Amino acid sequence: MVLEATMICIDNSEWMRNGDYAPSRFQAQADAVNLICGAKTQSNPENTVGVLTMAGKGVRVLVTPTSDLGKILACMHGLEIGGEMNLAAGIQVAQLALKHRQNKKQQQRIIVFAGSPVMHDKKALEMIGKKLKKNSVALDIVNFGEDDGGKTEKLEALLAAVNNNDTSHIVHVPAGPNALSDVLISTPIFTGDGEGGSGFAASAAAAAAGGVSGFEFGVDPNLDPELALALRVSMEEERARQEAAAKQAAEEASKEEKGGEEQDATMTERASEGASEADNKKIEIADDDDTSLQQALAMSMDEPTSSQDLQDTEMSDAAAEDPELALALQLSVQDSTKDSSSQADVSKLLADQSFVSSILASLPGVDPNDPSVKEVLASMQNQSEPQQKQDEDKAPKKEEEK
Amino acid sequence: MSAAESANAIQRNQVDLLDFIDWSGVECLNQSSSHSLSNALKQGYREDEGLNLESDADEQLLIYIPFTQVIKLHSIVVMGSEEDGPKTVKLFANREHMGFSNVSDFPPSDTAVLSPDNLKGKPVVLKYVKFQNVRSLTIFIEDNQSGSEITKVQKIALYGSTVETTDMKGLKKIEDH
Repeated sequence: MVLEATMICIDNSEWMRNGDYAPSRFQAQADAVNLICGAKTQSNPENTVGVLTMAGKGVRVLVTPTSDLGKILACMHGLEIGGEMNLAAGIQVAQLALKHRQNKKQQQRIIVFAGSPVMHDKKALEMIGKKLKKNSVALDIVNFGEDDGGKTEKLEALLAAVNNNDTSHIVHVPAGPNALSDVLISTPIFTGDGEGGSGFAASAAAAAAGGVSGFEFGVDPNLDPELALALRVSMEEERARQEAAAKQAAEEASKEEKGGEEQDATMTERASEGASEADNKKIEIADDDDTSLQQALAMSMDEPTSSQDLQDTEMSDAAAEDPELALALQLSVQDSTKDSSSQADVSKLLADQSFVSSILASLPGVDPNDPSVKEVLASMQNQSEPQQKQDEDKAPKKEEEK
Repeated sequence: MSAAESANAIQRNQVDLLDFIDWSGVECLNQSSSHSLSNALKQGYREDEGLNLESDADEQLLIYIPFTQVIKLHSIVVMGSEEDGPKTVKLFANREHMGFSNVSDFPPSDTAVLSPDNLKGKPVVLKYVKFQNVRSLTIFIEDNQSGSEITKVQKIALYGSTVETTDMKGLKKIEDH
């Protein structure tokens, strides 16, 4: 919440054409500038931000410190890349622009994007740093792009000369998959000396890398209690859910060790399927799956005789989601229990002409009217005839469940 | 009124202006963070010889003191050591937010070159006519006695009188008769 006037010095030299920072170094800079402007303005509406370019024909102030974001974004368009960066002149012009700020109560800050090699020697940079410190101007340096011998050293020396009570910072951003703006979000350049006060910076930090501010979750409870509370509650919920999932995984692992029966294998398959589905369907369904799965597991541990009820439970779960899956499960389960009646059911199903033909019709490339298919069906029918009457009752019941 | 009498009158009325300093607006450029302006200005700290105001990057200091009401400034006392104490002191009345770059832009209201006697506590009498209507004072310490990198100031005290302004605390509600 510090009242601040900021001048951002952009490097638009030839070195910025390079694409090692997606999409190009210059574009990455522009994105970072936009983000910084937003963050500064949000942390205190009276903050002002100005922009100048350091390369090209010479140092040029694009916009003097203003709180109008639109102006700043507009001036970033149509910038030309070329020439060499003049760091010393850039900083001095920035200092001059800050001196003439409208609101003298604002603290002065300069943010420099140093992408190309630094031509000045260390002494000159230290003199500039001292002058900035004397006039109580803070300096943030973003060291990216070219990294020739001595550049890092020179910039560190500059920072040491300027730094007064840790108000100035330097950030080294190596080329890589992360965008320049994402890396900057978690640095003190954005979060403003570890205040953690800006909601914008805090949420962006949480989204990207995880805030660096002194407070938990990157939000100051004094400044934004609701946000801090919401973040804390959601974190605890997430932790509880993960614990439950971990516990379940442990249970499954122990069940697999004990078991070895196909039945248990099927249960664990079902359970792991349920678990993967839970991952997809987020937290709301997870609880339901947990309870039903745990029920299923508990019952499987008890008596094989009660497996019939279990299978029914399983059927209803499966049937809700996938009828073909239900059929496959039923077949596999019934095979393993060696229940004669259920075995008969299987063959009964196959024997049931209409059901089989409907299945065959759904299969691509199979025509139920094909004579060879009809032959097979006829042979199956003959086999199951003796048991047909016995299982007539069960047939409609199973039909309904499909 | 003769000149001597008026001078005496002024002498009698001068008070330490410490009570009229607006502390929220007091600023000091180029001070060292561990040795700040309070060590030289505030009651108690300024009497302590171990606590000094020290400069940071170089030997110059720029001190800005606003007042809670309009005052007339008669004299100042600047105390320091013989080597590191200030030498040339320039005073600007009613100039807000000065920086080191514009100290030479306009002439100071008064300039004082401190002798070792001054550094021991002898007040420097200022050009009273220039400080009749002072809302804020800027003290620019240009260099020190020995020319060293750091200037150390032990005490700064301002003496003068207030202009007749309304004392808001003294205002009383009119009683209904």
